[in-house]
Amino acid sequence: MSERSYKTVVRVKEPVSKGTPVEHVPLPELGHKLIPKERYTSEEFLELEWQTIWTKVWLLGGLERDVAEPGDYLCTEIGRESVIIVRGQDNKLRAFYNVCPHRGNRLVEPGMDQVDSFVCSYHGWEYGTNGRFVSIPDRELFPQGPPCAGLTEIPCDTWNNFVFFSLNPDVMSLAEYMAPIAGHFEPYHFDRMTVVRDLTVEWGCNWKTSVDAFNETYHVAATHPQLLWYLNDMDVQIDCYERHSRYLVPFGMVSPKIERVPEIPPPLKVMLSDAGLDPASYEGPIDGIRKAVQQHLREKAAEEGFDYSDLNDDQLTDDYNYLVFPNLTFNTHADHLMLFRHRPHATDPNQMYFDVWMLHYIVDEDELPEERPRHRHFTAADRKSLGMVIDQDGGNLPKVQQGMNSAAFQGLWLGDLEVRLRHFHKTIEDYIQEYGPEDALNE
Amino acid sequence: MDLGLREKRAIITGATQGIGRKILEALIAEGCTVATCSRSPESVEAIIEQCSTRKAEVIGAACDVKDQEEYEAWIEDMVKQMDGVDIFIPNVSAGGGMDSEKNWWKSFEVDMLGTVRGCEAVIPHMKESGGGAITLISSSAAVETFAVPQAYNAMKAAVITYGKQLSQFVGVDNIRVNMVSPGPIEFPGGSWDMLKDTMPKWYAKIQRDHPTGRLGKPEEVAKAVVFLSSPAASWINGANLMIDGGFTKRVQF
Repeated sequence: MSERSYKTVVRVKEPVSKGTPVEHVPLPELGHKLIPKERYTSEEFLELEWQTIWTKVWLLGGLERDVAEPGDYLCTEIGRESVIIVRGQDNKLRAFYNVCPHRGNRLVEPGMDQVDSFVCSYHGWEYGTNGRFVSIPDRELFPQGPPCAGLTEIPCDTWNNFVFFSLNPDVMSLAEYMAPIAGHFEPYHFDRMTVVRDLTVEWGCNWKTSVDAFNETYHVAATHPQLLWYLNDMDVQIDCYERHSRYLVPFGMVSPKIERVPEIPPPLKVMLSDAGLDPASYEGPIDGIRKAVQQHLREKAAEEGFDYSDLNDDQLTDDYNYLVFPNLTFNTHADHLMLFRHRPHATDPNQMYFDVWMLHYIVDEDELPEERPRHRHFTAADRKSLGMVIDQDGGNLPKVQQGMNSAAFQGLWLGDLEVRLRHFHKTIEDYIQEYGPEDALNE
Repeated sequence: MDLGLREKRAIITGATQGIGRKILEALIAEGCTVATCSRSPESVEAIIEQCSTRKAEVIGAACDVKDQEEYEAWIEDMVKQMDGVDIFIPNVSAGGGMDSEKNWWKSFEVDMLGTVRGCEAVIPHMKESGGGAITLISSSAAVETFAVPQAYNAMKAAVITYGKQLSQFVGVDNIRVNMVSPGPIEFPGGSWDMLKDTMPKWYAKIQRDHPTGRLGKPEEVAKAVVFLSSPAASWINGANLMIDGGFTKRVQF
């Protein structure tokens, strides 16, 4: 990146635990070529992605806690497929296609529940939580026997309290898939966090248009001007690891783009108060707020019951933002996790599903929600607000998608602050090269 | 119209930016010598260098108006350097906020005591030289409900009451005391510039509440302050002038 004249951010030099490294990984050589727009707009490319990515990688199913007891299941959709993840009576987690092998009916609706068995609503074929047949009504009508032993099982595993599945029966182990970042989330102890929000919004854009919106800070100044008074959008540490990537965005300071700060900006006042510091009593310099909050949280956390012992100081304020390939955005913070899952539409490259899980680290039992908030689904017409920042992003996306479909637009012309988008596309290319037809990338 | 400000000696606290800066520049343009302060010596040095002209000089030194001793010593020093004082404008403010009780103490110390202590320090010198003009900076937030129940609004109201009272008290010494109550004032690097980004809906509402659809500019306040502080306003005393482009809605009789 070219030299800039602003002050660089002081970062933690050594990790405090072996979990999250702070070391900057040198950027791979990714070139400067244009990213063809067809990747975002063509049905052929959507199908190519289905064949080479969605059916080959590990995908997030949901939260492990939602399938904690025997009989608990969750049902999630990816493209044209629907998947059941269920904890068997033997306490083992398994994933199955949500398809009755008799005539193809879906066994359950997307969502979660607890069952003794799955009974097909069409002819009553019944399956145990281990996926095997329990009963077939009037069995004697099938002299040829059943078509198989039960539901079609697919790989299933857990990582940091999340359940993953893969439509690829030959997929590498989940541990191997996550390898370079396998331990990065451990210091956050997601198992201590409580779900406070769970929803899906339909957005009128390609799933990658949505991934991209959370993969660079270049758009902050124009799209989220209020965040210039809360974070550093320019001095961002970007690390690319094989198929995944992250950036570390310093919070608790103003952008180098702000020339003069008249007083403590409202968002930084909120940060101070949230940390238990009185903004009116804060006499230090404004560029000392990030450090003051870190120190205060470090000192006060333990007595308030928060265990931050595995987290470094920067993790107490900053956004450690990960893209777990292909479609997960983890905004990890000491006391909360904002997780986005970007899912493609089954047939339309101009539509997608944006899933949001908000998890909070709550130590005071009185503050715990009485029950798990139920999942809610909104269409674009519902105009559901997801908060100022995501609303600002969501407002851009359909317009970006429409513009990408224009004859005037050739493709994405990316700058240095957008290098994670390049890396994302490099990974997509790698998968297409491995699993696609030879000429698939002759775009 | 000649304001009669040539070679007058003015003291204004906090003039590195915004309204204070524009008042200082206007006083300089009218030929006054102006003394100012800021908490940072660098800011004072900068303003001296940027604003002094061949005809009119800016002097100053670093000073924290919250520190009584330091503040009073600074005023004495400025008066001495200028060999007297004709105009006093206590402009420094602790700003808004309702974070904690601390906001009340800060507003009291800076907005209120910064005004009272300053006036008490300059008045003997003004008496000695036969008179002077004091212009206090209040706010439209003092006369109508605004934003939140914060110390700033209440202290700015107290400034108006104090100023009116003072005008009766020192009138006999040929010292006039007036107040100005600016509405929301916007300038690059100012609070409203920041609120435009951080609280865009609130900013837009405030904008709409102005008959002209915009916020005020520092120079629009400065011109009125300079006029009130000048001999041209010799028969205006104890007044509180709203400088808000019609933002406040009450009827003044």
